[in-house]
Amino acid sequence: MNFSVVPKDHGNPYRVTNHALTMLVMLMFSSLAAVAQNAAQAGNAAAPFSVRATHFLGFEGTKNNCNGTLSLQDDSLQFQQNGKPAAKIRIDSVRNIFLGGESKQVGGLPMTLGKAAVPFGGGRAVSLFSHKKYDTVTLEYVDSDAGVHGAIFQMSKGQGEVLKTQLAARGVGVSPAGEGPTKQSAAEATNANQ
Amino acid sequence: MQTNRQRLLILSLATVAAIALAFPAPLPAQAGAVKSSGTSNGSGTKWSLQVDKVNPGDLEIAQSFQVAIYENLLQEMDKTTQFQQVFRDGDRRASDVPNLLVLKTTVEKYSPGSETKRAVTTVSGATKLTVRSQLCTREGKLLVEHAVNGNVRFFGSNLRATHNLARNIAKEMKKSSWPAEQPPALLTSQL
Repeated sequence: MNFSVVPKDHGNPYRVTNHALTMLVMLMFSSLAAVAQNAAQAGNAAAPFSVRATHFLGFEGTKNNCNGTLSLQDDSLQFQQNGKPAAKIRIDSVRNIFLGGESKQVGGLPMTLGKAAVPFGGGRAVSLFSHKKYDTVTLEYVDSDAGVHGAIFQMSKGQGEVLKTQLAARGVGVSPAGEGPTKQSAAEATNANQ
Repeated sequence: MQTNRQRLLILSLATVAAIALAFPAPLPAQAGAVKSSGTSNGSGTKWSLQVDKVNPGDLEIAQSFQVAIYENLLQEMDKTTQFQQVFRDGDRRASDVPNLLVLKTTVEKYSPGSETKRAVTTVSGATKLTVRSQLCTREGKLLVEHAVNGNVRFFGSNLRATHNLARNIAKEMKKSSWPAEQPPALLTSQL
């Protein structure tokens, strides 16, 4: 019956000061951590970055439709197929980067043949679930003779935005025209989901 | 008994192979092509070509499609061996070339399909592209003009439409030709 809700040292001024000090120290630490994080992010702009990607077409010195690693190192953007020499371009030659998205069927030809072999059209039902969304990154760059090149890469969803941010941090212009295709791709993805 | 069956099987396979060799089926694109009214190229002078970036017109077409059409066009035009050199848009070297033609591509129709829809229904979800392809001189004089289609109806990704389109444009350009000295009258066809 003798429960006390209010602490007994309620009026103790030293206790209140201790609490305030603790809060202040915690606030200082958190703000320091935030500053350090910002500095680290700024430093990351020059740090190497790599992502697994599929090269569709256009990147000079690379076969179409091949898998590899797309990376940003120093002042170059390079694509390296597994066990083959990397093809690279200078980052400052990239004029525009556009981000889009696409929904694709997974499994390639073997899966397509497998689905065709399922009786009573069962393969079609499989197709409903066997698709995956990808990010499509389109780069526009110029060569030493000022000729315009375009390259298309496909990567896991979310990775395209990271690459775009990394390239923007390195001074590549992200064109406002990139908004159009994104809208378009969104409509495309909606169609795919229906 | 088994030997007879084997013989019969081999015989029927051989018959099918012989028929296939004797009457090769035309490719769909070949069958659908309309012969251009272009003159045959009798001159020995080879022109060089500059492929301009794709003009999306009033349509909201994905940038990846525009780039894919442009890159596929460069590849396909180079494959035709009809031109001495194929230059990219903006290439400085093109300004020094004496006989230069410019290939301009404007998108007229575009319906974005869906690979999943195609896989599920077969009949819907086709990606369709129609472009107006114009071959001009450096001064802007129109030599050849075609409306060309590129579609993906059944299998493959949406971007395959751009490859089919570029191949069809290259086919049309290969069929039509132009004399070295004076440009012919306007040639127009619909693929």
